[in-house]
Parts: sequence; C-alpha cells; structure tokens
Amino acid sequence: MTGAFAGRDSHEVDALITDRYLDALLAAHARGADHGPAGADPAAPVRMAADRLARDLPRLHPSFRFEEALAARLAEAAARMSLAAAAAADGSVVPLPPPRTPDGTALPAGDDLVGADEWRSGIGRPLLIGGALTSAALSIAGAAYVAWRLNRPPASAMVRAARAVARTRPV
Amino acid sequence: MARPAFWKVDRPEEGGPRLAHLDRDRRLVEAAQTDPARFEALYRKYLAQVYSYAFYELRDHHEAEDATARTFLAALANLGRFEERARPADGEGASTFRVWLFQIARNAVAERRRQRFRRPVAPLDAAATVAAPIDLEADVTLHDDTAAAWRAIGRLPGDRRRALILRFVDEMSTAEIAGVLGRSEGAVRVLIHRALRSVARDLDDPSR
Repeated sequence: MTGAFAGRDSHEVDALITDRYLDALLAAHARGADHGPAGADPAAPVRMAADRLARDLPRLHPSFRFEEALAARLAEAAARMSLAAAAAADGSVVPLPPPRTPDGTALPAGDDLVGADEWRSGIGRPLLIGGALTSAALSIAGAAYVAWRLNRPPASAMVRAARAVARTRPV
Repeated sequence: MARPAFWKVDRPEEGGPRLAHLDRDRRLVEAAQTDPARFEALYRKYLAQVYSYAFYELRDHHEAEDATARTFLAALANLGRFEERARPADGEGASTFRVWLFQIARNAVAERRRQRFRRPVAPLDAAATVAAPIDLEADVTLHDDTAAAWRAIGRLPGDRRRALILRFVDEMSTAEIAGVLGRSEGAVRVLIHRALRSVARDLDDPSR
C-alpha cells in the first residue's frame, strides 16, 4: 500500500475509498448528474446504498409561514440585542468628582454638605428636567433658582458685607 | 469578534503561496456580530439545512420546527461568542459557522428528544394511529424508493444515522461532520462506511 492508504488497516482503507467515492458522488449530484462517478470502486453494496441515498433523501424546507414567523422572532431578538448594546455603551456610570469648597478643599460627601450655602451657590450643577440634561444657568429652573438665591438673605456676615459694598458702587 | 484565520496555501501553478479565506461565511458572520439584524442572511442560508436535519432526526414536523427555532435563536444570542476555528484540512469551502450551528442544532434535537420521553403528548397507542403532518411514508407523491431510504435511515443507531443525514442531506464534508459529532475524521469515515453497509443490507431485505 502506498500514499494515503499506507499504515491503515483494511476497515480504514475501505472507509477512505467510500469517502472519496461519496465526495465524487455528491459533487456529481450537485452538478445535476443522474448517475455516480465512474472509476471509484467501493464494494458494490456500499456503492448501491450510497447511490440510493444520494438520489432518494431529499432536503426539506419548512413552510413559508414558519420561515417568516421565525424571521420576525429573530428580528425582534436582534432589535433587543442592539438596544441593550446601545444602552450598555451610552449608560456607563461616571463617578462624580468629590465636592470642593471655592478654595479647593475637598468636602466629605453626604449629609455634611447640608447647609454649605456659601460655596454651593457657585457650583454649576446640572439638572435633569423632563429627561433632558441641561445647565442650571441656561434652563428656566436654573434662572428661577438663581433669582431666588440672589433675593435670599445671605447666611454669613462676609457675604452680607460683600453685597453691601457692591450696592454702594455705581453701576 | 472572530480571530483572523488566514493560512498559506501552496499553489505552484499560481506562482507561489497565497492566502486562502477559510470560512465562506466569514463576511456574513462578522456583519451579524456587528449588527444582529444582519443575522437574517445566515438564517435564510441555513434554514432548510437545519430544518432537514431536525426533521430526519425527530420525524415530526412540529418538533422539527421547534428545534429549528431554538437553534437559530440560540445561535443569534451566542453569536458574539462564536470564534472561527477553520483548519487548512477543512478545505477552502469549509464553514466553521455551519459546524457551530449544527452543534447547536444537535443539542436542540437531543433536548427535544428528552422532552418527548419525559412528557409524551399522547398515549403511545393513540400516537401510532395519528399520522404526522408530513409523513413521507404516507405521501403518495413521493417515490417508494424515498420511503424505503427514509425507513432504512430511521433504523440506524444514533451517530450512524446522524452521520448519513449530515453527509447526504446536508452535504457536509467528513471534516465538518467530525466537528459536529465531536469525533475524528477517521472515525467518521468508518462510521459512514459501516452505516452504508447496514443500509445496503436493509434495502436488500425483501421483508423490510
């Protein structure tokens, strides 16, 4: 034995011959030939069975209704996957920087911030209104907040003194 | 994303080595991995093959449809994890996506079989008298030879039957069948050879 058959037992050799015959047979079948290839020679019963199966086992197609219904289910699933992917890409959580006083000192987070009006009024805090992210300085709510803040009596003596000086200056 | 899988193939007649594209479905798969809506092209391409495999295995139209639907939904959901593993021995036309898809189909069919045994939908004696919606044996438009081949395939044990269905109905190469069944190519060749001998005996037996 030589070539591809070297070192194989008789079962493997027979199986290899059958395999090559099937390659040629199915290729001929795909070309529309009505008989198997000549020259390849598996045992006659195997060859007969292969010829019968190649000719008599049809490929089946499901109903058009099933095909379209499954296509619709797949399209829905694909749309959900796209939405989920988009949400994952846009919705990443970005940590806010720690709050700081006007002179740059970091403040502790949480309830300790309550009452720190002197520096909090100077922070441009974004507001979420009606689902749209906007700036307090530009939004209506922001304008109302600034007007309220300016008319509110100042909390500290320093701020009151600064405003008194500002009022004495000519406009 | 699928990893690059280009291999050098010596073609002296073309003036030296060249790069062969090993997975014929690569463009479709990458498009679907980028945009899941484009999975439809793969679905349309392989629907009949997957359905045929399921129908020959389960021999029931509704169960085959169910297994087909589960196969494609699972393939879409897991497409991001699919990784091309083509080898030069698979040939230029080999499609590792098809092997991966049929591995899913094989699992879906096995699951359907398990459900059938756990929860039979009708008593066995009643089921024997009810024809399947598509019954190849009863379909007068089909040739007797088709019914005989259908019966002969149905009498084969598990992997022999699967190997012949994949070889003759889905026209897979031995390498692809080996990938689907999780066996070596040599084992698949022997499996098919023995299955064909069984079919030859069956078709020759006048009592069948």
